[in-house]
Amino acid sequence: MIARIARKEFVDAWRDGRFRVGAVLMALLLVTASLLAWKQTERAATERAAAAALERTNWLEQGEKNSHSAGHYGVNVFKPVSPLGLFDRGIEPFVGTTLFLEAHRQNQASFVPAQDATSMRRFGELTASTGLQLLAPLLVILLAFGCIAGERERGTLRQVLSLGVSPRALVLGKTLGLGAALASLLVPIGVAGALLFTRLDTDHVDGLGGRAAGLALAYGLFLGTVLALSVTVSALASSARNALALLLTLWAGACIVAPRLVTDTVHDALPTPTLAEFELEMNQDLQSGLDGHDPRSKRLEEFAQKTLKEHGVANVMELPFNFQGHVMLESERMAGEVFDHHFGTLWDRIEEQDRAVTLAGVVSPLLALRSASMALAGTDFAHHRHFSTAAEQHRREFVRVLNEDLKRNAKPGDHGYVAGRALWESLPEFRLAAFPVERAVERAGLGLALLAGWFLAACAALFFAAGRLRVSVA
Amino acid sequence: MLEAKQLTKRFQDRVAVNGLDLRVAPGEIYGLLGPNGAGKTTTINLFLGFLSPDGGCAVIDGVDVAADPVGARRKLAYIPEQVALYPRFTGVENLEYFSALGGRSHTPNELYELLERAGLPRAAADRRVGTYSKGMRQKVGVALALATGAKVLLLDEPTSGLDPAASHDFSQLLRRLAKEQVAILMATHDLFRAREDATRVGILIGGKLAAEYSRRELEKADLEKLYLERLRA
Repeated sequence: MIARIARKEFVDAWRDGRFRVGAVLMALLLVTASLLAWKQTERAATERAAAAALERTNWLEQGEKNSHSAGHYGVNVFKPVSPLGLFDRGIEPFVGTTLFLEAHRQNQASFVPAQDATSMRRFGELTASTGLQLLAPLLVILLAFGCIAGERERGTLRQVLSLGVSPRALVLGKTLGLGAALASLLVPIGVAGALLFTRLDTDHVDGLGGRAAGLALAYGLFLGTVLALSVTVSALASSARNALALLLTLWAGACIVAPRLVTDTVHDALPTPTLAEFELEMNQDLQSGLDGHDPRSKRLEEFAQKTLKEHGVANVMELPFNFQGHVMLESERMAGEVFDHHFGTLWDRIEEQDRAVTLAGVVSPLLALRSASMALAGTDFAHHRHFSTAAEQHRREFVRVLNEDLKRNAKPGDHGYVAGRALWESLPEFRLAAFPVERAVERAGLGLALLAGWFLAACAALFFAAGRLRVSVA
Repeated sequence: MLEAKQLTKRFQDRVAVNGLDLRVAPGEIYGLLGPNGAGKTTTINLFLGFLSPDGGCAVIDGVDVAADPVGARRKLAYIPEQVALYPRFTGVENLEYFSALGGRSHTPNELYELLERAGLPRAAADRRVGTYSKGMRQKVGVALALATGAKVLLLDEPTSGLDPAASHDFSQLLRRLAKEQVAILMATHDLFRAREDATRVGILIGGKLAAEYSRRELEKADLEKLYLERLRA
């Protein structure tokens, strides 16, 4: 009987002109968003690959120069484009895509896409995830608000129940039928979207299939929750109009108000410094040491004395290596501690903020979904941190090799020492190791757990509402 | 068979049905008359299990409705004043769906035959019911009653708004069903149809059965006069 009710509901949904119009609009939006994002992703990947190749050529052909000067010449590294970013761009538009690696400084990623965007971007980025997060719930509401309240008003509920149909079977059948109608719209689009991935370079993504399955699960739980809640409200509401009004209010609260409110509240509770404050504090610590009482000049002087003592010489010119290179190595080590402290603190704080926003998924399932979606798409902060950390490690090794070359190969006091192509070639290109899928799933775990909780709670509410299903007896 | 034993229903201070005793045997058509607010529809709702009684019980074919409303509903067919159908489905699709929910499976030909038996031609059966007149919708309701093969039929103002011809056809159908040993309870304002079709008539006033007349008594008396006398009493 449940299957029969579900089948009727499926057919009825597709015969409903309102749903068909909504479905066509939704399909157009998702397909357009996916195609645009695919073109954008492909172009970005091509551009970054070309820029990386050019950067390598420039590095190799920089000519002969002092190896430490080559450290200042520096090199740009580019963040690989996440192919799943075509589905959910996450924080990508708001964080840099390029890092300039140079001696003495750990830079933040630059070339933020949102900075290059036109004012039209203020209306929001059109992506498949935005469509599924904000507009698909509206389609679900449109589909479900009258499924029981409307039948109660028309009298068909009375007719159906008079046949001895159990209210729970009716409600379950309707929910399954509406879910199937929605799935028949979204699944083919999802499959088509997945086919687009096959045309992108996905070599640097770990566990693409697992991530895609996780995304399907997350969005399935989210839309399942919205559907179950919509049917629940329809079952309990006195009229279809009231059900629609309540559902639209809930949508606005959960999808528009809550995310903004939660983000602002979390930012107030767990503040991060402004860029200017961050740079100022870091520069102060670079000069005065992390404890603030140990100036850099004093530490370097102590280091020089210690080096002289270790080698039993009175003058740096008597050392068996180039002291300038030796000091540069120490200076980088000292700066590294400061960078680790400041960037580590900032990034930990951003991750705390992310966790707090995800936890607020208890209030709105959309927040839990966003967190899980970004993590699985590889566009959350953890993935960005992974890139920034790897780039910094690459920078330190790159500068270490250059300073080591200066220390070993330049004669003491020789300011005319130059290195050449052989050294430049010995430095490998930056290759970002794939972010492990296990860590991505772990990052998405809290959001997925909250979504599962929402789904179960919505099913329980549906079960409760079915038990209280009443017909009009007027 | 359907039976009410001291059936009582209150809405706050108002007693809608007050200790109603009623029994409709197989093959009987019981016409339940009464003014608006007399408790006719409440009685139907109590038999359908859409309302819980405050006293007494309603029994359908041996099943206490309050104890097992779903089980009781499986034993009856119900035709309301306005048969509610799904407007985006054709007549035959509606019938197929509702009869499937009632636990009956029919071939397409059987469904068309049932609709024709109820007075709905095949051409109309293939049209979406959004285009149907009230009479056509009532006919689908009748076809549904036939399709479920229920032994108890509850009717709530079934001929209200039907044209005379449709009302006559409906009446013929009821009589056929009664011959098939279906117990029929028909709440109505239509004194003419009640006199013509009912084997017994009860007049409900203020939730109480004020009078009951057999077919033999009705043949000798003016039902309208009896009814008005009871109302004014």
